[in-house]
Amino acid sequence: MKRELLSKAFGEMDDGFVLEAYRSVPEDAASASERIVQMKTKRIISIALAAALILALGIAAYAAFFSMDRRVPEATETFRIHWEDHPSGYLEWHNAKLAVTFPDTAESREIEFRPGWLPEELASLGGETWRDRLTAEQLADKYPNMTASQPMLIETYYMSMFNQGGALLLLYYTPEDIIEEHWDEQGVDVMRFHATQVLPANDFRPETKLEQDILLMSDPEAGWVVRLAGEAGMDTLVKVAKNLEIRQTGRVLTYDDFMDHYTFMDGGVG
Amino acid sequence: MTDTQIIDLFFERSEQAIEELAKKHGAAVSRIAFNILGNPQDAEECVNDTWLGAWNAIPPSRPSPLRTFVCRIARNLATKKYHAGTAQKRNSQYDLALDELCEYIPDSDSVEDRCGARELAAAIDRFLDGLEPLDRFLFMRRYWYSDSLGELAKLSAMSYGAVSVRLHRVKEKLKNYLLREGLLV
Repeated sequence: MKRELLSKAFGEMDDGFVLEAYRSVPEDAASASERIVQMKTKRIISIALAAALILALGIAAYAAFFSMDRRVPEATETFRIHWEDHPSGYLEWHNAKLAVTFPDTAESREIEFRPGWLPEELASLGGETWRDRLTAEQLADKYPNMTASQPMLIETYYMSMFNQGGALLLLYYTPEDIIEEHWDEQGVDVMRFHATQVLPANDFRPETKLEQDILLMSDPEAGWVVRLAGEAGMDTLVKVAKNLEIRQTGRVLTYDDFMDHYTFMDGGVG
Repeated sequence: MTDTQIIDLFFERSEQAIEELAKKHGAAVSRIAFNILGNPQDAEECVNDTWLGAWNAIPPSRPSPLRTFVCRIARNLATKKYHAGTAQKRNSQYDLALDELCEYIPDSDSVEDRCGARELAAAIDRFLDGLEPLDRFLFMRRYWYSDSLGELAKLSAMSYGAVSVRLHRVKEKLKNYLLREGLLV
């Protein structure tokens, strides 16, 4: 009864609060200095020396290769994701359309970024703030032809997160032609592609095709990966990526610092 | 397409209205449905029911803002489905969020004996009005949208622990507020 009453009461709450919470993150949160990556920092120091040795040996080996690999998983292949507070502690997913993997990097250098250039529609997201995530769904109205609600999303990942078989997964969207490049100016490897998801027709909508572009940019020496995605267009993503200012925070991240070793490029709970 | 244009399509009884509504607000609606129901099949069903609900309500309604309107329909349908027992249970963020809140409302003097949902909602509205924006944001995203603590941490650029502690304090404040208002003893 108590649960139902609470639930009903929440259904009766003022629209203004509902809208406010959807539209914007308060400024005092956006400027907080705390990091979003869930870390078990105490472990970092204890393995730093060993990791440094592995990294030193690793860099030479990896430098000659493209630092991202990709495969299409079997439909039955299971990816287990930690689910906070869930009684079972995890959820499992199948049918991934693409798995991007990285060298088993012992240490990754934590980074933060800020856009050096943004399209006019998203210019209000610029500024001096250094971030590890930038989302633009609040500006979706400025893109009238969008199929989802995300003009541009920028997120950071770390190769050390994906060690021991971990991967960055495309779960719902299917990639089209995948382009692999090396950008000398930034010293990064780049994988980019257009991806689509077809929602079948039902009683209330015709067949609907969702589209987005995805650009992965990785630095094998520092062990970080940045994903730019969204519907602003690939040319825009490339320009934003090439103008992204990136700096290291001084923090070192290892496999044990991450709760999950898979994460999704296109939704889900990762 | 703007919300006004979508609503115009509803008034013209054009099926394109559903398509455009789904394109523009589908992600938000799906997320709420999934957060509450905890599995994709039930969530998809709920999303489709939401579009039907919007189709039946517009016209005569001309909701503004449209997003809040459809999110509210989705939430109501999802919670109804959840409580009706047709959805897979004990696995959603909605469950966890409700459990968290229930911890702050004692069973010994149940709140439902003292007030109805509408009165409780009005009290929570007044309580939220006095909160700092960040606390209000975290509270609404956790208990209205049923976002996970991890997602809140991402959204607010705070650590998981900081979000959890902050929400704990808000709930303590809510409990004290409801006590002062005479809704709890």
